[in-house]
Amino acid sequence: MNLATSPLASPAATTHSRLTQTWAMSKRSIFAIARQPALVVPSLIFPLFFAALGASAFNKATALPGFPRVDSFLDFALAGNIVQGVLFGSVTGGTALATDIELGFFDRLLASPTSRVSILLGRLAGAAAFGGFQALFFTLALMPFGVSIAAGPVGLLVVVLSGATIATAFGGFTAAMALKTGSSEAVQGSFPLLFIALFFSSAFFPRETMRGNYRTIADVNPVSHLVEGMRGLVVEGLTAANVAKALLVPAAIGAVSITLALRTLSSRLASR
Amino acid sequence: MSTMLSHAEQAPGGGVLRTSVGIAGRSVRTIVRLPSAFFPSVLMPIFQAIAFSGTYFAITLIPGFPTDRSMNWFLPLACLMGSGFAGVGLGLTTIRDLESGFFDRLRMAPTPRLSLLLGPLLSCWFRVIILVTVVLGVGLAFGGRLTDGVLGLFTVYVAALGIATMGAGWALGLAYRFGDMRAAALMQLTLFNALFLTNAQTPLNVMTGWLHSIARVNPITNVLRLARQGFLGEVTWHDSWGGLVAILVLGGLTLLFAQTGLRRLNQR
Repeated sequence: MNLATSPLASPAATTHSRLTQTWAMSKRSIFAIARQPALVVPSLIFPLFFAALGASAFNKATALPGFPRVDSFLDFALAGNIVQGVLFGSVTGGTALATDIELGFFDRLLASPTSRVSILLGRLAGAAAFGGFQALFFTLALMPFGVSIAAGPVGLLVVVLSGATIATAFGGFTAAMALKTGSSEAVQGSFPLLFIALFFSSAFFPRETMRGNYRTIADVNPVSHLVEGMRGLVVEGLTAANVAKALLVPAAIGAVSITLALRTLSSRLASR
Repeated sequence: MSTMLSHAEQAPGGGVLRTSVGIAGRSVRTIVRLPSAFFPSVLMPIFQAIAFSGTYFAITLIPGFPTDRSMNWFLPLACLMGSGFAGVGLGLTTIRDLESGFFDRLRMAPTPRLSLLLGPLLSCWFRVIILVTVVLGVGLAFGGRLTDGVLGLFTVYVAALGIATMGAGWALGLAYRFGDMRAAALMQLTLFNALFLTNAQTPLNVMTGWLHSIARVNPITNVLRLARQGFLGEVTWHDSWGGLVAILVLGGLTLLFAQTGLRRLNQR
């Protein structure tokens, strides 16, 4: 069985029913997040902890050459903290999919007349909703401590959309890993890779302050560019370049990761 | 059974040492038999040293920063983080042994109770020595430079073994009390906070606000100062004694916490 021959890919299946199924799967994954706060609280708490640490430890660094003009380190750190939280959260989404496979729920879904694609898209939609929520949560949580969005309410909306897009993009990779391995342990094992992608970027310090090979890696790391787009909205204002970087870079990563996840799903179905 | 236990409890000191070494040997052999379980504990501090020193390279330009090499600042921190988590790893292993029933078999054996604590601690120290040696080697290859030769290296090892002892005592105490994986998050979070609420990222004179107030009184700050001396200047008694006292006091207290936890477990 593959995607093309799945029951709901038959002529009888309508676009409307596919959307309904995707929406039902999305609701399930969103409720799963809301009902198991212990799984997601770390991805909300840790970035805030790092933001608080950074604000105290690195505040004097904002005067260094290469640092953007900011009122406080928190203004600079917000974008990095959002991306950090969203990446942590994307592992949780992939782990949930792998757990569905381990527990046999995935097989029950396959046995039902459910669109195969909606199983994956539903999971990613849940990740997107949580990513957007994280972006909003971090921004609101840090506002009492002086963080402001230079791009205003529209900028905040773009930041939230960017959070959702980043979650979808990296959720696609963890979903692909879940579908490939069927092991929640293996998906959790991917966490260091995301950690490396995050640290070898400008998420925590500007690229302009880095040197040598480290700078070269940060220059080509797409995470640097999506963080800088979001950061630009926070510290500079609403510009087309900032919006494009904040939305299009994660969208491009998402196109790759979702294609990979769909192909992995297809391979998994074909091997059954 | 009770006869066996009483024999075990009355075992002479040599018996304690022998069984401790035996228990430690089991753990050490897993490094060879299951290297995939050991490598991540070495790779993480290596990654941390490289990532932190690369990301935060520019902080060395802040006036008052004690070195112009970011690796010199972050390498001892990475050694201590890795060592602390090696201690916590002992707690996780013990939880698995408790859950699988292996620990009950150890308790039923005519084994001195002290060796159930000392054995894992010895294996932890052995792992820490390997870990610190590898991490230091990589760190020195990536730009770290000792400023006080062998003595500077010695203080890193002392501080690393001290943090590992604290981590192990704390984690074992929690493992014996909880008996399951509920303790894991608590073990890791407390160690993480204890290490980061210090001068881990920047020196006291560079940091501002709430972190400065906490780091100034956090005894782990002294342990980090002890570890960093040989990378920032000369090793002095002034920068050493605070760390040594912190290791002795906190190491002693956490091991006592573990020992009382083990006693409670035996009374269940």
